[in-house]
Amino acid sequence: MEVALKATGINKVFHDAADLQVLKNVSLEVKTGEFVSIVGKSGCGKSTLLYVLSTMDTDYEGSLELNEVKVTGKSLNELARIRNESIGFVFQFHYLLPDFTCLKNVMIPALRLGKLSYKEAEEKAYEKLKMFGVEDQALKKANKLSGGQQQRVAIARALINEPTIIMGDEPTGNLDSKNTGIVFDLFQKLTKEFGQTIITVTHDEDFAKRSDRIIEMADGEIRSHGH
Amino acid sequence: MKISVNTEIALTYLSARKKQTAVASLGVMFGISMFIFMQSLMKGTNDYFEKMSFNSTPHIRLYSENKVADTHMLTSYLTDPSVKILTNPKQLIQSQGLTNPYGIIKEIQRNQQIANVTPQVTADVIYTSGSVQINGNVAGVNIDQEDKMFDVQSNMLVGDLHDLNRVNNGLLIGKGVADKLSLHLGDNITVTSGTGSPTIMKVVGIFATTVKQIDDTKSYANIVQAQNLLGKDRSYVTDIKINLKDYNNAPQVAREIETLTGYKAEDWVKANEQLKAAFKIRAIILNSVIGVILLVAGFGIYNILNMTIYEKIKEIAILKAQGFSGPAVTSIFLQQAIYIGVMGGLVGITCGFGITYMVSRIYIGAGTLKYLPMSFYVPHYIEAICFGILTTIAAGFFPARKASKVDPVTIIRG
Repeated sequence: MEVALKATGINKVFHDAADLQVLKNVSLEVKTGEFVSIVGKSGCGKSTLLYVLSTMDTDYEGSLELNEVKVTGKSLNELARIRNESIGFVFQFHYLLPDFTCLKNVMIPALRLGKLSYKEAEEKAYEKLKMFGVEDQALKKANKLSGGQQQRVAIARALINEPTIIMGDEPTGNLDSKNTGIVFDLFQKLTKEFGQTIITVTHDEDFAKRSDRIIEMADGEIRSHGH
Repeated sequence: MKISVNTEIALTYLSARKKQTAVASLGVMFGISMFIFMQSLMKGTNDYFEKMSFNSTPHIRLYSENKVADTHMLTSYLTDPSVKILTNPKQLIQSQGLTNPYGIIKEIQRNQQIANVTPQVTADVIYTSGSVQINGNVAGVNIDQEDKMFDVQSNMLVGDLHDLNRVNNGLLIGKGVADKLSLHLGDNITVTSGTGSPTIMKVVGIFATTVKQIDDTKSYANIVQAQNLLGKDRSYVTDIKINLKDYNNAPQVAREIETLTGYKAEDWVKANEQLKAAFKIRAIILNSVIGVILLVAGFGIYNILNMTIYEKIKEIAILKAQGFSGPAVTSIFLQQAIYIGVMGGLVGITCGFGITYMVSRIYIGAGTLKYLPMSFYVPHYIEAICFGILTTIAAGFFPARKASKVDPVTIIRG
């Protein structure tokens, strides 16, 4: 199996009041098509790790490879391009742009990437919304939707560019059990049917248990790789 | 037309807060329309005053000036190389006239930059009518050329200036002279110069300039009449008045003519130094007012964009997480500034034109000045648009750069 993500010897120190090492020599590998959950207590560094893996946080030591290409040391603009093309994000809060319609929100990353024409992007965005059962909300402003619907639109947005890796920071943290179920089933479908890789940080034990692999963290170190 | 996603986001942000956008554009609009109005007013009045000064002053006046005695004569007499010292030198009286004036005129006319040349005989005189006498001066001119150069016709109240060529001993007098001596068209007036004999002349026209001093003293006569008044011959000419194709070259051409003829050539800039100073002061005042207005407009845009960025910081973070690079984010916010600038600018030049047009219809009615002199000068409008857009870019640049530097991790993690 191909390796979607490989991190080697990641160290990260926060320099706030006193130096605090939040990640201690973390190494991990995620295969293409895997559904991985990262769990651990608050403050164990799991979110910090996710943001390092996401390429958004560049202030770390160690090396990171995405799809077997080393990304550590690339410029911010190159990283932005990589995120645009091959990483999709789902956050605890939906972070949709309230001034735009749901359809536009989903389209924006595709338009940014520029591989599809406007019309193609529109069709694809609609198709993604349909996949999550929110196609009838497509032309509403993002802030007019319910929380569950918003999160589904946000996931559709994360998927528009067919990223190889989808990262979630508590993607179900704000959802009721019904919506959590829907999201989980979709994630599973993505890995099984479309071969996309999913890495999520979660507090939700049920959610974690149902994923392919659980990585446990404590005090900035990986306690268990779940193999 | 295909618009980029950055443009689309910028436009959506602008239309999402129409009120703020309108206020920011209004600031720019106000700045630009004031810019155009003030520039038009300034150029209009400057042009007017320049034209006014050229109604009485030629671009270059060539005349003979008294000189301070120098050692020139001693040198030609004492040919030995001794040092000559002249103590207490005095002004030497030169002949008031120019030697061989028509030869000089021919010579001057060879210069490509010259548009018109005309000789003049100036005579200080006393006007007498009945028992009243007043001092004044007669300008002996070729009235056709004089009119071509100084638009005498526009100052005429009554009479025909061409009568100077037709009526023997004809005289055009200023309104002040006419009032003081209660003279009317066709009346006789006695004119006496210092050197000639008193001559009875006939009023063939009355003129009024905006300068009271001129109206109270000046009169025009045929150049031959003026020579007769002074008891001089036909080659006697006191001034040669020269107009150029471009009056801005006057100082340089004046120097050339001075070298060529050896007489004093005074250009209009020297003759009207106070006018130039007034132009400069006006320019400084108006430009600082415009500068302040544009600065305020710029701060308006800066503020609004800054506020937008604070409000949208999460959205900026999310855009960056989705792969919008720093330059893309800069482009989104800078574009907003530019659209505000372009909108304000376009409305501004329309308003500026409107204000300028309306003000140009305000009746003043002082002297020959009927309406406020406003200029409609296309480069002002181009300048205004450029200034407006430059201001908005400068005002938008810092907020946009700040937005591009938003760190998505800190914002998203809270």
